Amino acid sequence: MRNIENIEDSIREVARKLLNEKKVELVIGYEKGTLPLRTAPCFIDNPDDVDKLAWNASCDANLSKYLIGVDKRIGIIAKGCDARSIIVCITEKQIDREKVVIIGIPCAGVVDRKKIEAEVDGEEILEARVTGEKIMVKGKNFEKTLPKKNFLCDSCLTCRHRNPPICDIMVGNKVPEITSAEGFAEVSYLEAKSADDRWAYFTKELGNCIRCYACRNVCPLCYCKECFVDKTLPLWFGKTNDLSDTMIYHIVRVLHVAGRCVDCGACSRVCPMEIDLRALTKKTEKIVKERFNYEAGISLKEVPPLGTFKLEDAQEFVIE
Amino acid sequence: MKAKIMDKNELQDFVDELTKDYKVFAPVKMNRIFRLKEISKGKEACLGYQNTRQPPKEIFFPQTEILFTYKMDKEGVELEDIPLPNEKRVLFGIRPCDARALVFLDRFFSSGDYKDISYLEKREKTTIIGLACNSPLSTCFCTSLGGSPFGKEGMDLLLEDINEKYLIEILSEQGAKLVEHIPWLKDAENADFERAKKISEEAESTIKLKIAVEGLRKKFDSMFDAPLWDQIYQKCIGCGVCTYLCPTCWCFDILDEGTPTCGRRVRIWDTCQFPLFTLEASGLNPRPSGKERMRQRVMHKFNYFPKDFGELVCVGCGRCVQACPVNLDIREIIKAIMNT
Amino acid sequence: MSLVKKAFETPEKAGEREIWEPRIIAFLCNWCSYAGADLAGISRIQYPPNIRVVRVPCSGRINPYFLIKSLQRGWDGVLVSGCHPGDCHYVSGNLVARRKFAVLKDIMEYIGVEEGRLNFSWVSAAEGERFSRVVKKVVEKVKALGPAKRLVKR
Repeated sequence: MRNIENIEDSIREVARKLLNEKKVELVIGYEKGTLPLRTAPCFIDNPDDVDKLAWNASCDANLSKYLIGVDKRIGIIAKGCDARSIIVCITEKQIDREKVVIIGIPCAGVVDRKKIEAEVDGEEILEARVTGEKIMVKGKNFEKTLPKKNFLCDSCLTCRHRNPPICDIMVGNKVPEITSAEGFAEVSYLEAKSADDRWAYFTKELGNCIRCYACRNVCPLCYCKECFVDKTLPLWFGKTNDLSDTMIYHIVRVLHVAGRCVDCGACSRVCPMEIDLRALTKKTEKIVKERFNYEAGISLKEVPPLGTFKLEDAQEFVIE
Repeated sequence: MKAKIMDKNELQDFVDELTKDYKVFAPVKMNRIFRLKEISKGKEACLGYQNTRQPPKEIFFPQTEILFTYKMDKEGVELEDIPLPNEKRVLFGIRPCDARALVFLDRFFSSGDYKDISYLEKREKTTIIGLACNSPLSTCFCTSLGGSPFGKEGMDLLLEDINEKYLIEILSEQGAKLVEHIPWLKDAENADFERAKKISEEAESTIKLKIAVEGLRKKFDSMFDAPLWDQIYQKCIGCGVCTYLCPTCWCFDILDEGTPTCGRRVRIWDTCQFPLFTLEASGLNPRPSGKERMRQRVMHKFNYFPKDFGELVCVGCGRCVQACPVNLDIREIIKAIMNT
Repeated sequence: MSLVKKAFETPEKAGEREIWEPRIIAFLCNWCSYAGADLAGISRIQYPPNIRVVRVPCSGRINPYFLIKSLQRGWDGVLVSGCHPGDCHYVSGNLVARRKFAVLKDIMEYIGVEEGRLNFSWVSAAEGERFSRVVKKVVEKVKALGPAKRLVKR
């Protein structure tokens, strides 16, 4: 069992050292949130403030978003998935490798608070504590202990890179990888349904979208200065929540992250209408794996699959 | 004060009666969240909820609303108005904070020379039945802002859960007319009122956050250039969640969609958190970064609006606190400002 | 009742006797597929008139937005045609496009847009006959699917 307190202390030590030695101007990590089971991104530029940094099973956000477009030397706390997004952004020249110090933390999964909220029937959780493999939640009229492994985020259940593939400083011991994680079970389930069933499913889910763009804004790969949604000359797709426009927004966003998405799960987690966006993003991962034998965010030398080609690429979809 | 009473197990029948004469919108469970949807049977409504994810503004001021359609040919332009809904409606089971927010929206959409017909028509034809909060959430802070868990503003009827029964307080003519259609409702007695008062006091006492609103406005006046904003905004990702889920946010954008010969004009929600909100044609953006935009949001709710209209325009529902993807907590911002 | 009498008795239903014809938009690359289509025309090869051609310099120029927007605008089917891999006038335009189209088609079909709405082919400048066969195939496919309903914006 890994000692969470040790990791937290080590993170603070590392941050203090980096800031004191002026190796970085800013450290981005997690701090305790204002509600149970929540953490918030934390920006430390003073070595005296490092005790704000926290590490626990609710450190779910993908912080690599905050590196884009910032011209400072930054130290960043990164789990496996976060480090992979950083790699993708480095290969796409959005982050300067020389300017970032990646503090990698091997992660065995973060907790999905929405699953826990559903488990207590929507009653308000007033206190929560994760110790080892147990989650204790307390509310006005209840107190429950739950096994952590049943309440991990969906993206963690199929994670095959729990150890950051790249980092400058590793905090904590490596965790064993789950090589048997078959990540595409949900996608295969949907693929087995008829096109009509799939259409009915997606129109129902995406019909709830209110076009808040939380999914786009939280994704580290959506860094375009002008998003296609805001383009008016030409006006590609409308901004209303007309079903056609909404579905196309999600289709196009997922096309844009195809081959780059590392399945950090942030988009699904932040959606206020609880749409399962991973049903779409995971499909692009599957397409890219099966067609081009590619997995995003593993090596700094890789070339994104949609930015290259092979003469012998499969073309079974072409009419003979 | 006139009021009726009904047993808890009569609730479904009550709603069924409503569906006979009115189009009823009630909280409905969808996956893991509650939303206001049109229902056709009493059993679809679900009152065992904390609050709906989306505020009631979506019923009167939807995310997308077509204003009119146009057709253009060599004879000229033809405009066609969208017919407004004609039927009587009931909005059932909303919380007092949300009902209070509707009062703000009413004021906004009927201010000045131009009255927003599409909003006001729907509003006039809707009877609001509220549901008092017996157990406010830890994220609720309505009491500091002029509201209360058993508040009555903005409603025609208020349902109060007094254990085995619901007390139905009649707050307006429209509400009185509605209960006349349901003759089997009994009159409430003094004991019922006593019980409701007790539960109301207990509920109010659970709300811990107290904001000294007078002091707050004065502090804000000197806060425009404070370094506080540099610290607060860093984690904000600039999405629209806080504003879209806010019951008192009413900003909208108007767009034309279609071809030059045929199309429509639509109104959609807009948010001050998007960079495009203040982007000018010259390319200048007076609110270039998240810092200015976050400052604008907080200032508008707690400083500019009160200065112009005398009231804070936040109702303390706590939706932005719960739904913010990065846990940017407006309560913390207020506390930080009070402490400067 | 004779057909003629029926047509007069129920004039508003006369339109139903028309068989719906699919409308297909075809993005053809200038150097190969467009030339191939032109050759089909010159050789007087008959093929269904359901396609409207948009000429692009290379299949690599085609933005997936064009195809999605076409479906949104109500086109019943889309045909994209370029040079054979290895023969692109701009060397590798069609190779870049091939990957894009593969991902686009997979995603659209996964979402539930019927298989057969988006069609891709390689037709060279000398393949007039082949072009006509491709168009016939696509028109048959789309006819069987019926008018476009999914993703269409009213």
